[in-house]
Amino acid sequence: MRQRVATLAWRVVLAAGLVCGVGLLPWLTRTDPAYTVLKARSAEREPTPEVLAGIRRQLGLDGGPLHSLTGWLGGLLRGDAGQSWISGGDVLPDVLQALGASLLLMGAALLVAVLTAGLICLRTLRLGARRRLGGRRAGGGVSAVLASLPEFLVASVLATVVGVQLGWLPALGWYGPQWTVLPALALGLPAGAVLGRLLDDLLPGAFGEPWALAAAARGLTGRSIARQAVRRCVPALLPNLGLFVVGLTGGAVAVEQVFDIPGLGRTTLQAALAQDLPVLQAGTLALVLLAALATGATRVAARLLTGPALRDGALSSLHRPAPPAGGLLPLLYGLVLLAVAGLGLTRDPLALDTGQRLRAPSLDHPFGTDALGRDLLARVGHGALDTLLLAAAISAAALLVGVLLGLVPRVSAPLVDTVNAVPPVLVALLVTAVAGSGAATPALAVGAVAWTPLAAHTSALLLQERATLHITATKGLGAGRVHLLRYELLPAVLPPVLRHALLRLPGVALALASLGFLGLGAQPPSPEWGLLLAENQPYAERAPWAVLAPAAVLALLGALAVSAAGALRRRSPGRHPGTTGAGKSGAGERRPVARAEREPAGVR
Amino acid sequence: MRSHRRPRLLAPLLLVPLLAGCFASGGDDSASGGKDGDGARLRVGLAFPPAENLSPYGADATLLSRLGVTEGLTALDANGSAAPALAESWRRDGDKTWEFTLRDATFQDGGEVTPAAVAESLRHATDAEPAPAALAGVELDAEAGGDRAVRITTAEPDPVLPLRLSSPSLAILSEGAYGKSDRVDPVGHATGPFELTEVNGATSASLDRFDDYWGGRAQASGIDARFIADGTARTNALRTGELDIAEAVPVAQAASLDKKTRRDTATTRTTSLLLNASAGPFEDAGLRAAARGALDTSVFAEDVYEGYADPAAGVYGPAVTWAEGKRTAPVGRAAAKKAGGATVNLATYDNRPELPEVAQVVKQQLEKAGFTVKLTVREYSRLEGDALAGKFDAFVLARNTLLDTGDPVAVLAGDYTCDGGFNIAQLCDKGVDRAVAEAEKIADTAKRQDAAMAAEARVLGSDAVLPLVHQRVITGVADSVQGMILDPYERTLVGTGTRR
Repeated sequence: MRQRVATLAWRVVLAAGLVCGVGLLPWLTRTDPAYTVLKARSAEREPTPEVLAGIRRQLGLDGGPLHSLTGWLGGLLRGDAGQSWISGGDVLPDVLQALGASLLLMGAALLVAVLTAGLICLRTLRLGARRRLGGRRAGGGVSAVLASLPEFLVASVLATVVGVQLGWLPALGWYGPQWTVLPALALGLPAGAVLGRLLDDLLPGAFGEPWALAAAARGLTGRSIARQAVRRCVPALLPNLGLFVVGLTGGAVAVEQVFDIPGLGRTTLQAALAQDLPVLQAGTLALVLLAALATGATRVAARLLTGPALRDGALSSLHRPAPPAGGLLPLLYGLVLLAVAGLGLTRDPLALDTGQRLRAPSLDHPFGTDALGRDLLARVGHGALDTLLLAAAISAAALLVGVLLGLVPRVSAPLVDTVNAVPPVLVALLVTAVAGSGAATPALAVGAVAWTPLAAHTSALLLQERATLHITATKGLGAGRVHLLRYELLPAVLPPVLRHALLRLPGVALALASLGFLGLGAQPPSPEWGLLLAENQPYAERAPWAVLAPAAVLALLGALAVSAAGALRRRSPGRHPGTTGAGKSGAGERRPVARAEREPAGVR
Repeated sequence: MRSHRRPRLLAPLLLVPLLAGCFASGGDDSASGGKDGDGARLRVGLAFPPAENLSPYGADATLLSRLGVTEGLTALDANGSAAPALAESWRRDGDKTWEFTLRDATFQDGGEVTPAAVAESLRHATDAEPAPAALAGVELDAEAGGDRAVRITTAEPDPVLPLRLSSPSLAILSEGAYGKSDRVDPVGHATGPFELTEVNGATSASLDRFDDYWGGRAQASGIDARFIADGTARTNALRTGELDIAEAVPVAQAASLDKKTRRDTATTRTTSLLLNASAGPFEDAGLRAAARGALDTSVFAEDVYEGYADPAAGVYGPAVTWAEGKRTAPVGRAAAKKAGGATVNLATYDNRPELPEVAQVVKQQLEKAGFTVKLTVREYSRLEGDALAGKFDAFVLARNTLLDTGDPVAVLAGDYTCDGGFNIAQLCDKGVDRAVAEAEKIADTAKRQDAAMAAEARVLGSDAVLPLVHQRVITGVADSVQGMILDPYERTLVGTGTRR
């Protein structure tokens, strides 16, 4: 009980800190709100001192930050979230309306995501239900490619092809159910691919557990075994699902823009840029509340699914059996990527020739040229090093922080929810306020968010792992906490989280590029991959190759990361520690299970 | 067990009525009326949503004027001089006073446009905080001066007052528009051919034809306006037939429209390279001249703008129709020096997608001439402050050269004089200041234009501004639409003769 109160208090402190941080944003960033508000109202207006003074008087900014903040909080108690500094309209109805649209979009996207995840796991479920998982090779190339596709690209392709050229569905607006289909697909496909990969990663372990064997022996249908296996694995993903719910509600800016949806993402983006604090505070608060709700819901769901087993420590470890060695896929992906980079490096990525703009691929320009006539192969090749190194470094740091904080869920869970609920642009502004606009700032801004899904994943896996029999046994044999962590918990939790981190690597590269408009990160004419995608997006219809080339290498990177993670998975059981008695007993308890899994076909 | 599940599956259906509230209102196509000739409503896609609840004193003023909702006492004609609108005629009475004679017109709420109402409306504009841009630095007092006349007195002599009054932010609204609060509500209180009936936040607006408009009844029975910020989305909406008119089609999307569907007009917007004349490498006039020599301006209009721009001739482009005939050669240019690897901080913004491309071409051209160039691209509001403070050596800027007042001298005074409020080039040159001050005093339109061109020659002679292109704006217009107004000043879009 005391713990619960403490967690709640920590949650409230974080939310309050966030709202206050937003309230102090202009003073933290040393950017005059009167100025940004003026520019949001009318970009061409000259910011003369008289005009700025007029706006300050109008908004009551003369009293300083605390005055505005306490005024706003006081109004909030009376159910009044203030007036927008830009339009002067009431904030609450506007934010609620945007939230409604965003929630609906998120709901539809979630449906798509769940269906996508289901499709991705279909093969594993089928094989697992028939107990034929033993000899299968790790797949997942398709889902990795799907997971690394940028939302804005999927959105603009869907809008152009399905909406405009085929005319099957409306390409623009938000007026009824048929308008939700394309945006939901654009958001749901990549999200579903990530969730599907994570689930697919856990399922073989569940199918390998003794109960599955027993159930099969008793003659239960494959269908119900598969259902139970999903039920066994889903709790580990629920926290990430909760993060998606909040992330898709507040962070779907690109999709909202392409389809012209009046959602919360665009509202908060505009408010953050213009420092329209009342709107920004209300929007952030709404997202933080939603995050708390989503977390509560996932907790309840997890308890419904595996509650008794968790309480009684009656789970077994979700270790998947080792698939057969081999598979040249990672090598192949790596070689293709290397070849592209190598060929590109011999060419000039900056040489402009406007006479050669938007040329289709040819012998001279194997990947075609972009809107300024630059060779795309050269740009992709030269961008590879920067993009990969930075993204890999951020991912590694995020993995480290995510795992460390994931080990202390009571501290990190509210932190994860709160950080994840903050719109990305606001995170970037807050990070810039603290760290200045140095070279490391974009990496910090992306890293500040990138650890959250990993921490949530770690915590969820840890919760299950702690409830396993072998941990109880190891404890019984007198192992200390450090020993448990070092030899039992971490080896079980790390591999799936590492694979998760690799899966998100392309996303990190894209997030870096999306900060460019704040003057953070790579600037043109740098050939950084995210920037390549962004600058060629307007030409996607006329010169598809210009977006296809960077999207393809990014997808290749995703596939490489996932298949390389498969190789890691193969090595990890062999590395299981066995230096002490307790360690041996833990391993010894698990091994027979693993061996039993390997010969499931012989059981029937 | 099964029988238990079914009702549970149906339970979410109870939420369906709630969902309706989560969609945007508007977009109801059934309301668009018969498509046959008279009476059809126009569906217009605008690029900028209302920023300030349609307050007439800010940027929303342009929106109101483009949709034919509001009018001022005067308007701009094709030659950039003041033309009659709500005022039939005007005359100068002494140094500081002008007298405007009103025409017979009615407000959309039924009242008559009387001198008292006009004076009251102008008084509200002068009291607005912050003051409308067209009134910046001007003190103005309006009063009824008889049966049909309004007398306007300014504190200082104002030779361009009729031009100034054409600004959309000085539109005339009836008494009902000004409530007790500060907010000004133009819905149903203006004088134009179309009357706002409903505004759905920043999503859409509905307008009906105003039958008693003084200029005759409009042919379209109304307008359904949608605000779509994304250029590609706007173009897509036109292509799928959801819109009849799409404003400001991005250059990159123009090729996806039929040739008949895209109409382009020269605008008063000029894209230039501004060189910081008071700090950094370009403090040296010789290096500015070297930069001018390095630029090959022909590629910008043709390639980057894909022909939707005119090669630069000066500060004023072809949309300023009188400029070409009066242009004189730049005065006092310095001889070019060798660049010698001087490092240049070049900046631009990405709110207009072509500008980063222009800047990258500029970068390459300068580098070929021996400069070392570092490029910064940010969102405009994150950049302007630094630019005005002179933190960049060079800046690619798209600037409207006729500004809010339609007065050609205003842009020179604001951008290139020592006291100018928008002097990104940081130019402070006695010759330029003198020439601009000279031009500001002249009341006669033709002579003022001559003086403006003399000042332009001075400004160009300093090499602090290197014009690159004069932009053209592309409007997507469905085949069925007739009578579109393609206005170089971007103040009108739909008029009484527009129909589909």
